[in-house]
Amino acid sequence: MRRYSLGYLISQTFKSLTRNSMMTFVSVAVLVSCLVVMGTFALLIGNIEVNLNKLGDLNQIVVFCKLGLEDEAVDEIGTQIRALSNVKKDDVKFVSNEQALLEEKEKYKKSSKVFENMEKDNPYPDSFVITYKDAEKVADLEYELSNIEGIETVKCRADLAQTIDSIKNGVIIAFTGFLAILFFVSIFVIINTIKLAVMARRQEIYIMRYVGATRSFITTPFILEGISIGVFSAGISFLIQWFGYSKLTDVVGSDYYMLDFLKFSDKVNVFGFFDTNITLIVLVSFLSVGIITGIIGSMISLRKYLKA
Amino acid sequence: MIEFKNVSKKYPNGTLALDDVSLTINDGEFVFIVGESGAGKSTMLKTLFREEKITSGSLIVDGFDLKKTRNRKIPYYRRKLGIVFQDFRLFHDKTVFENVAFAMRAVGESTKSINRRVPTILSIVNLQDKVKCFPRELSGGEQQRVALARALANNPSIIIADEPTGNIDPKLSLEIMNLLIKIHKHGKTVIVVTHEKNFVDYFQQRVITIKDGKVVDDKVGGMFDA
Repeated sequence: MRRYSLGYLISQTFKSLTRNSMMTFVSVAVLVSCLVVMGTFALLIGNIEVNLNKLGDLNQIVVFCKLGLEDEAVDEIGTQIRALSNVKKDDVKFVSNEQALLEEKEKYKKSSKVFENMEKDNPYPDSFVITYKDAEKVADLEYELSNIEGIETVKCRADLAQTIDSIKNGVIIAFTGFLAILFFVSIFVIINTIKLAVMARRQEIYIMRYVGATRSFITTPFILEGISIGVFSAGISFLIQWFGYSKLTDVVGSDYYMLDFLKFSDKVNVFGFFDTNITLIVLVSFLSVGIITGIIGSMISLRKYLKA
Repeated sequence: MIEFKNVSKKYPNGTLALDDVSLTINDGEFVFIVGESGAGKSTMLKTLFREEKITSGSLIVDGFDLKKTRNRKIPYYRRKLGIVFQDFRLFHDKTVFENVAFAMRAVGESTKSINRRVPTILSIVNLQDKVKCFPRELSGGEQQRVALARALANNPSIIIADEPTGNIDPKLSLEIMNLLIKIHKHGKTVIVVTHEKNFVDYFQQRVITIKDGKVVDDKVGGMFDA
């Protein structure tokens, strides 16, 4: 059997994209809209998670030392904390009173005047941020910590942590559900748009069939078209998302400085396998959704005309 | 050779379009298929180019058993046929040359072989001067000649023409019929479905008359008597 020329099929694809420019434009517009809405929603979920996590400080206890302790006494407290069985030894973080003041100043930049007098007479105590291993035995740990000489208060937010954790899980499940629905609705819309494009060219497909073109000869240009539309739409969507999101976080971030916003340059862990930045995740996701819907759309639309 | 053996075709809506049709068309024959609208002529053609599958009986064309041939083999079967439609079915954004070349591209012919063969075929249908024209720049008769050239592109053994003169004026119609006769003389099997009584009576070829899905008459040198 003779092989079809790939060059010819590719040239046909681009000819067809320009020839059917109106349908190409509609397909790209629909795909870009769906991708941007999905991307925005996914980033919203990410931001909700980050901020709820921050609120929770989930498995942590903060102990505050008595004011005016000598450095040796504070070190001794640290040693005793690390010796407790329910404490993750490597996750005990010492926060000096200077550091605490600095952090507060940073957090409330707009109210910097409040902190001016505190420089001379720092009201913050030294503290330890402790991460525990077993949430079930938190009450025991709290008791053990309060018995250590030199500790003034033990702040354990286990109840709050649990409440926030369950709220976070609920919100994320609900939003992920919405995202999934949005994804399927988008695929449905895109497939129907491609269907219209294919229907407009059914005569062309019939002619190909009658002259003895094989299934692959007929489908390849349509699938390549689907891929091209997917890649092109993903590129445009990425630029819109990147530009729009950066602008939005700049504006909202300056008004709500208590909130943390994910940045495109932030690294996140992907399904526990590897770390990568959000830019790459958004770009790869857009390309995948764009290309996959382009291919599926073309295949489903063509099936009707390719029975034999 | 084309062999219909007790062929019936029933559509899902219950219409029996072909009813126990049995006939043989030998290689190199010229056959007119005539009959009233709705008699079953189009269904007969559709079963021939396997647009429709027969419901019962057997239909064998050039060694292909069309009831059993798998869908993926059908494109290779269709390359043995050259099909011409009443409405020409040309690509309007391709030139005359490209329309004919397309049929060769579709079967994987090389550019070299396309460039060699297409001008030859266009000269057979007297369109050698129109290679760069688009279908909209041609008359109905010329467009049908392009369709005929495309049907001949892959050197098929059977030419099937469905009302080839239905959309063109009588003078040009004769030209098309003469071309079909010329093609037949080159050894091709030609099957023409038509309503044109004058041509059927004039050319004195084999005439198969269909009525209510049945073959009611089959005569060599017959007349239009539907």
